[in-house]
Amino acid sequence: MTKLENSTMERPFHREHRSTVGTFTSDNPRIVCRSVDVYYGEKHAVQNINIDVGRHQVIALIGPSGCGKSTFLRCLNRMNDTIPDCRVTGDISMDGIAINGPEVDVVPLRAQVGMVFQKPNPFPKSIFENVAYGPRIHGLASNPSDLEEIVENSLRRAGLWDEVKDRLPQPGTGLSGGQQQRLCIARTIAVNPEVILMDEPCSALDPIATAKIEQLIDELRALYTIVIVTHSMQQAARVSQRTAFFHLGHLIEVGETAQVFTNPQHQLTEEYITGRFG
Amino acid sequence: MSDSSHQPLSRGHTHDIVMAGLAKRRSAEKRFRLFGLASIVAGLIFLLVLFVSIIGNGYSAFTYANVALDITFDQAVIDPEGHRNPGTLAAADYDTLWKASLEKLFPDVTGRQQKRALNAFMGFSADKRLKDMVIGDPSLIGTTKTVWLPVDDTIDMLIKGKLGKEEELNERHLLDQAWIKTLQDQNRIRSSFNREFFTNGDSREPEAAGIWGAVTGSALTLLITIGLSLPIGIAAAIYLEEFAPRNRWTDLIEVNINNLAAVPSIVFGLLGLAVFINFFGLPRSSPLVGGLVLTLMTLPVIIIAARSALKSVPPSVREAALGIGASPVQMVFDHVLPLAVPGIMTGAIIGTARALGESAPLLMIGMVAFIVDIPKTFTSAATVLPVQIYLWADSPERAFNERTSAAIMVLLAFLMIMNGFAVYVRRRYERRW
Ligand SMILES: Nc1ncnc2c1ncn2[C@@H]1O[C@H](COP(=O)(O)OP(=O)(O)O)[C@@H](O)[C@H]1O
Ligand SMILES: [Mg+2]
Repeated sequence: MTKLENSTMERPFHREHRSTVGTFTSDNPRIVCRSVDVYYGEKHAVQNINIDVGRHQVIALIGPSGCGKSTFLRCLNRMNDTIPDCRVTGDISMDGIAINGPEVDVVPLRAQVGMVFQKPNPFPKSIFENVAYGPRIHGLASNPSDLEEIVENSLRRAGLWDEVKDRLPQPGTGLSGGQQQRLCIARTIAVNPEVILMDEPCSALDPIATAKIEQLIDELRALYTIVIVTHSMQQAARVSQRTAFFHLGHLIEVGETAQVFTNPQHQLTEEYITGRFG
Repeated sequence: MSDSSHQPLSRGHTHDIVMAGLAKRRSAEKRFRLFGLASIVAGLIFLLVLFVSIIGNGYSAFTYANVALDITFDQAVIDPEGHRNPGTLAAADYDTLWKASLEKLFPDVTGRQQKRALNAFMGFSADKRLKDMVIGDPSLIGTTKTVWLPVDDTIDMLIKGKLGKEEELNERHLLDQAWIKTLQDQNRIRSSFNREFFTNGDSREPEAAGIWGAVTGSALTLLITIGLSLPIGIAAAIYLEEFAPRNRWTDLIEVNINNLAAVPSIVFGLLGLAVFINFFGLPRSSPLVGGLVLTLMTLPVIIIAARSALKSVPPSVREAALGIGASPVQMVFDHVLPLAVPGIMTGAIIGTARALGESAPLLMIGMVAFIVDIPKTFTSAATVLPVQIYLWADSPERAFNERTSAAIMVLLAFLMIMNGFAVYVRRRYERRW
């Protein structure tokens, strides 16, 4: 800590500097965002974001509350469409295909880009039904035993199978908070997405449940690309390969997680990770 | 800021203040509980008074007095030519048979006045009952048999003691009472279940007047009302709540739906008269038009209830569904609507219960007519329970008095069955977790 504090004066980029510092591009990008702006009515919530999300990587979005992390995350699966008078401009493409235009069908997009929310929100239906719903509406299973297999595999991947295999017909809302969140992850991966967005998935969980989810994220990285918003810098450091720091709607700094945490380039990043504001 | 505001209050001081206010808080709470209890008790008392008076008045309408008469099925009266021709059998005057039997029971009745009274002792439907017996089994002709026949409605009232007040009884009543006494002593009078009340339509004769016509009328009318207002109301609510853009037009629509819910029901009757009957030429007095009018009346209530039920479904459910790629329609029908069903059903109960009890708008479209036949289709002339109650309450005959109360009981039972069904549906969809 003292070493970091001593080095404050050496940061090349000062608080007033507002364009992104670090390498926002990625060698093998799955999602590419260029000049993304989001407005809520008149309010310019997210400003001129340029960032790549690499394949089979976990990228963490950090920053003080209200800086636009969730807003930006929701651009990636067009959930901002559901908010009246929310406007997203700029270019966002996934595997080279633009996803931000009005002509894009959001239904298949959201099947490709799944989302896990801050508060566990299983459907008020059975555990089985929670996981089976996605494959069913997308027609991923050709027969009931197929569906059962998908459900089992998804629950296994979410590390929940052993805990719930005997109680599949019971309500998903009867599980503990951590189990509910893993159920939501199972529900997301049941539709076989390519990208999973997570908006502070552990903020409502206790440390043990959090540890389980973090371990799960690390395992899922082999199969999926993950974008995770977190307010916990330890979590970002533990699970992510790249980290993006947001501040007041700007993407301040992005880079390899180890580099951002040990040698931040921007003064704001440094102040934030050393806990001087946030 | 003064220095004193930075000094921490001593523990003892805070405690004293809290304790001093505590008695006041406790008594406020006690007072409120007392008020609540008192209002519930008052409500229950009113309900009890209502039920006691209606049931006390009406339960006797479910039974009717019958007299056992030794009827001689006289060939000379029924079928003088002996052909057993059904036409002849149906046209015969069966009243003569029971009159003869009564005369035999009371041989000392001689005066013209008294004879006329005795000839009015049995009811309007005694004739029909004898006719049905003979047509069903012509071999009865020539035999003598003891038959239970319904008495006249005034006699029924006397037997039930409903005409008991001295000042009301005239000479004729006293005569009747004496005969009743004689018959009772011979065990010739019994009261039996009044089947006619539940199977007949309306009639000028109280003993033949039944509720079934009004029950079918109400059922047909409500079928139309529920069949139209529930799907239209829910669809409108879903569209307005989930799909419609928020702009001036939808605001205007919302305001007008709220206004419609407050429009007095008779206005809908006038509208129905002008539009459905005069413009579209639909048949007057029919359950179809009645149902359409009540649909107009019920729709705003259901739309408002359904919208607030949809609004109260937590957004997290919608996000969850959309987040895995459900289309808006899938989100609504698979997740939002099932959670809103209990609230929607509550609105539907309130709306249809009001429609069931409504009479004013139906008066405007002619459902107040005197209709004897049981309505068979949605376009036959019909009346409904509340209108029937109103008609009977307005009739001078004493026997209609108890029938009015009995009809109210039937209306209440109808309501309870309907509510029971709605509660069942609500329970099924109630969030069990
Ligand atoms: N639905 C909304 N309508 C208007 N403003 C919003 C809405 N959601 C978020 N905002 C605003 O946008 C900014 C960014 O919010 P958000 O993305 O939720 O921040 P974070 O997730 O980083 O805490 C905040 O200033 C917030 O007030
Ligand atoms: Mg957020």
